[in-house]
Amino acid sequence: MIEFRVNGNVQQVDVEGDTPLLWVLRDVIALTGTKFGCGMGLCGACTVQLNGQPIRACITPVSAITGQEITTIEGLGSIKDIHPVQQAWIDENVPQCGYCQSGQIMSASALLAQNPNPSDDEIKQYMSGNICRCGTYPRIQKAIKRAAKSLQTTGFAVHIQESNFDLATEVQS
Amino acid sequence: MSDLTLSRRQFFKMSAAASGGLVLASGISACMTQTHSSGNEDLWKANAWVTLHPDGRIEFVLDRVEMGQGTLTGLTTLLAEEMDVKPELIEIKFAPADPTYRNPDYGLQITGGSNSLSSSWEQIRESGAVIRTVMKQAASRVWKVEPSECVTSDSQVMHPPTNQALKYSDLYKLAINERIPNDIELKDPSEFKLIGKHNQRLDAPLKSTGAANFGIDTQIEGMAYAVVARSPVIGGKVKHFDPSSVMAMTGVKQVVQITSGVAVVAEQYWQARKALNALAIEWNEGQNASLSTDRVFELYKKAADDDEGDKRRDDGDIDEALATAAKIVDVEYQAPFLAHATMEPQNCVAHVQEDRCDVWAPTQGPDVAQVAVAKVTDLSLDQIFIHTTFIGGGFGRRLTQDFTAEAAEISAKTKLPIKLIWSREDDTKHDLYRPASYHRLKAGLSKDGQLIGWQHQIVCSKILSWYVWDAAPAQFPWAPKFMYNTLANVGLAGEGVVAPEDHSPFEGADSYPYSVANIDVRYTHADAGVPVTYWRSVGHSQNAFVVEGFMNEMAHAAEQDPYTFKRALLKDIPQALAVLDQVAKSANWGNPKAGRHQGLAIHKSFGTWVAQVVEVSLNGNQYQVEKVYCVVDCGLAVNPDVVHSQMESGVVFALTAAKYGQIDIEDGKVRQSNFHDYQMLRMNECPEIIVDIIPSANAPTGVGEPGVPPLAPALADALFSATGQRLRSLPLTLN
Ligand code: FES
Ligand code: FES
Repeated sequence: MIEFRVNGNVQQVDVEGDTPLLWVLRDVIALTGTKFGCGMGLCGACTVQLNGQPIRACITPVSAITGQEITTIEGLGSIKDIHPVQQAWIDENVPQCGYCQSGQIMSASALLAQNPNPSDDEIKQYMSGNICRCGTYPRIQKAIKRAAKSLQTTGFAVHIQESNFDLATEVQS
Repeated sequence: MSDLTLSRRQFFKMSAAASGGLVLASGISACMTQTHSSGNEDLWKANAWVTLHPDGRIEFVLDRVEMGQGTLTGLTTLLAEEMDVKPELIEIKFAPADPTYRNPDYGLQITGGSNSLSSSWEQIRESGAVIRTVMKQAASRVWKVEPSECVTSDSQVMHPPTNQALKYSDLYKLAINERIPNDIELKDPSEFKLIGKHNQRLDAPLKSTGAANFGIDTQIEGMAYAVVARSPVIGGKVKHFDPSSVMAMTGVKQVVQITSGVAVVAEQYWQARKALNALAIEWNEGQNASLSTDRVFELYKKAADDDEGDKRRDDGDIDEALATAAKIVDVEYQAPFLAHATMEPQNCVAHVQEDRCDVWAPTQGPDVAQVAVAKVTDLSLDQIFIHTTFIGGGFGRRLTQDFTAEAAEISAKTKLPIKLIWSREDDTKHDLYRPASYHRLKAGLSKDGQLIGWQHQIVCSKILSWYVWDAAPAQFPWAPKFMYNTLANVGLAGEGVVAPEDHSPFEGADSYPYSVANIDVRYTHADAGVPVTYWRSVGHSQNAFVVEGFMNEMAHAAEQDPYTFKRALLKDIPQALAVLDQVAKSANWGNPKAGRHQGLAIHKSFGTWVAQVVEVSLNGNQYQVEKVYCVVDCGLAVNPDVVHSQMESGVVFALTAAKYGQIDIEDGKVRQSNFHDYQMLRMNECPEIIVDIIPSANAPTGVGEPGVPPLAPALADALFSATGQRLRSLPLTLN
């Protein structure tokens, strides 16, 4: 049994330790918002946050996150309780096929948590690990700018960071 | 169910649905009066289905798939406009496989060819207009007033003189009994509240929260996971494998041989993948064992020598023109095989039972999928239920149903409900590719620099030869299975007669738009045995590169600016001129910023003119595309922001191919495997993209694909301006 927390809930899973976190999230815990794109850490479709840092779930063995806190797209926000980054994505009509967007949003929200006011270049560099085959990059750029503004007025990012931190320390203590 | 009336073009029927809702079906008349199994050609017409529930819910069956191109938003906007309801209130259901939902342009239920809006433009609007009209009639009967005095808005009918209003949901029971007038009036464009204005993608909330269900997200009761090993050499077959070595591995349930290779089925995906990696399989490599990219082009060149090809365009006298020309330019162009690399790898959930099969698939062709399933099971088409899902990118890949067939075969053989997932490596190595092509061109200039002759010979394979095996039977669902191969052969033999002609090899080349007196365009067929299929913008993707690339060369040969050179030869096509002039203006053509170099191209595909100016900067022999100006005339832009995003998308897709795209074959095997060697453009390489839409009141034309073709030739010319190197082979790599 491997135990960790996902979106604030304790999960105990009975899988082999080398199973990538991606497949545990998708197939065992049924959180399918996190996507499979390459399985080699090349595309970012599987991006989730580990204690607030973006990681590639497809190359992270589940054993490596024992006792830690994972946030997935479902934990970031939902249609009823939307996160400002997700709202910015909707406002800028970012998604096309949408398949890469969970990963994009998890990277973008991690960026904004570290750097509340990134420059265009900082956005481009940070987001370059996430491929979008539909070419929504210009929209992603705009949406991150928009989200940065709205986060600065709401202070939402700080709030999320703190709550993640609390949960993580709880598990470890 | 009673048919109420017949209108001039269409007739509609309304009925109380089993669910207690009001169902409205629209279609071409003959379609609705015949059973769907008759095989009558009238069945080629598309239908749209709308259900109104007593509680006010509106259900709309979307008969084109949503794979990013914005069809869901576009078609729903049309319905909402004519119904006078908010688009957000419409609940969308993806259509099952059914002849009712065929694409009228193809006679197949497929989404491709950028025609979802153009082919549904009137039909769906009429469906909405019928509801609006009938609601008005019903309300006017309640109020005892003239229908013409009533107006509709926001799901209700109002009678302004008496200040009364009734909601659609209160009227629907009365509406069922209303006669439908013969002439359904569509709104005048001046009355549009949504068309041309509505700019919110309806699927954005689902897709921004991880809540949209793609094919790969399907979960069904008792489902196991399947992965497949396929022959590394194209077309090879399994020779030997020994499942005993992996049967004891954790979670492994079954190992079975299927048509395409060997499948491992396990409780979890990762278990199946690990077991497959551990499984030794010997292959019979077959006839392609020595195939290589070089061999393909050798074959093409030989074909070009041996067979001058079918004439696709024959204006004036090319020999005479070239004989008298003061200057002749004679060149070769080529374009490689390309993979689709949809972000969502191929996958499919299948549950084959004794008397039925359910399939959940991200497919661009549900009815073609039915045929693919029928071929590998004992079931008939009416026992096969295809459930479509959101699609993580299509680009033509999912018109071919190999992944559906595999899933069904595995489920049938293991008697388990299974989810088949292709790895990225599977997806890259076992794609059906954009055909590679080889081109010979010759053009002549007169003494005063006029283009007097244009000759173009194209050599490549035909997509239809590969697609017909599933597609032909899907057009004839009444046909018994033993006829499937016959139908495919008839389709090939009768190409252009019983089957639509395959324009893919020469489209965009035979439609050479410039007014030149002597034009000779020929197609020579050659097929090296590499599987091919449709790829975003299809033949235009390579032919625009060649035609526009060579036109730019001829401009330079005539010592003219490409813009003025082309402009003079397009003077009879006002639409083209408007697009070309606008892009030149927007880009400030001829005056790039310091350190930047420009290139220009224009191309028409899927009814839509697009012109682009590409600006590059150089760093040694590396280039960066800094900015792309894109002007499009796609008729009336139903959702202008969707048009913008499709142009952006087309530019990035085309730039990815122009810069990196290449599938190589060595010893019969595809060399590329994942995103490290089949690279995608990333955000740090993405240019600024400026899109202008030419205002138009014409019926909408395609937008999903036409943004792709002009990019590569415009980029090639920008690189020529920057370096003097003329690149005639894709991808574009500077020496
Ligand atoms: S699936 Fe993890 S980086 Fe591509
Ligand atoms: S929206 Fe389709 S891959 Fe990004």
